[in-house]
Amino acid sequence: MHPILTDFIDKWVYPTGFSGPGVDFRLRQTERCLPLWDKLVAQAIQSAENDLASGSNEYKAARARGGYAAEGPFMSLKQMSTQILSVEIGEQPKYIDLQRMRARQIWDEVKHGQLHADVLLRGGFIKREEELMDDARANTQPKLSYFGLTAMFPHIHPLARAGQHYYNESMACLGIASTLSVIDDELIRHQLHSQSAEELMHFMEGKYQIDAYALTPEDQKPIEEVFDFLLRPWAPEPSRALGGTA
Amino acid sequence: MCYVVCREIEINAVVVSPTSQHLLEIDERCSYPQCTVCLMYCPAEGSIVETDTGRSMVPPPPAVWAENKRWPRQP
Repeated sequence: MHPILTDFIDKWVYPTGFSGPGVDFRLRQTERCLPLWDKLVAQAIQSAENDLASGSNEYKAARARGGYAAEGPFMSLKQMSTQILSVEIGEQPKYIDLQRMRARQIWDEVKHGQLHADVLLRGGFIKREEELMDDARANTQPKLSYFGLTAMFPHIHPLARAGQHYYNESMACLGIASTLSVIDDELIRHQLHSQSAEELMHFMEGKYQIDAYALTPEDQKPIEEVFDFLLRPWAPEPSRALGGTA
Repeated sequence: MCYVVCREIEINAVVVSPTSQHLLEIDERCSYPQCTVCLMYCPAEGSIVETDTGRSMVPPPPAVWAENKRWPRQP
């Protein structure tokens, strides 16, 4: 196991304030995540080393455009905002704390989009953020994601997205730590440092949701199904999930 | 997060200060170190500091998340 992953799980995954079936369930899901978390760290480090070896500044723009696509207006405002919908009005008293955290995350994601635009602006790759609206590279991302499904299925179980908070946001934390271990560019480092603690909070939200609320098989099942969806190693992108090989 | 967790276990010892800075404050209902459940859910490193020693409690040191200090949650 890579030391970056060891450090992360020792600090944030295993320390547990609760006991009970929620914690037991989370630790079982954690065992499923560990191989892919480890792979993610290795890939992120390799990717950063490839960027540095490229001898060009283009990697900074490519990273920022990709980040803008994943965390910019389309994903942050249109998709992430729908996570509020999975809690019905009648359930709001029970889950009001989760709603507050989700509302906060929407702003975090919007800020992250701004950070990516800032890299492109300060790096001299664009003159105005509006230019990104016409650039497909800054508006498309091929990764499997669960967050947006509540736009289509608002009746999804209110705890289901804890699976994505736990799995994908941990990936964000690990990716940032891995990249920071390699890349010394100040523009990139500022962007990564600025969003690092927020990604950690999003992960901790997933951990908290599971530990504190996922206490029965009925509440655990929809979360486990999200892990089933996200952990498919043969389908890292929708094209493969649909049978393609690209 | 520490505020949220403290509410969930119904101790409610973590409160938001009425000052313009909206600092989080802990009142006499906090039973630390008998209860340390908040420490595991506040992800800002160094944000909780033990007054007596000055040591950071975030991320939580192993001593505060020992089995006998976990908050029991049952359906």
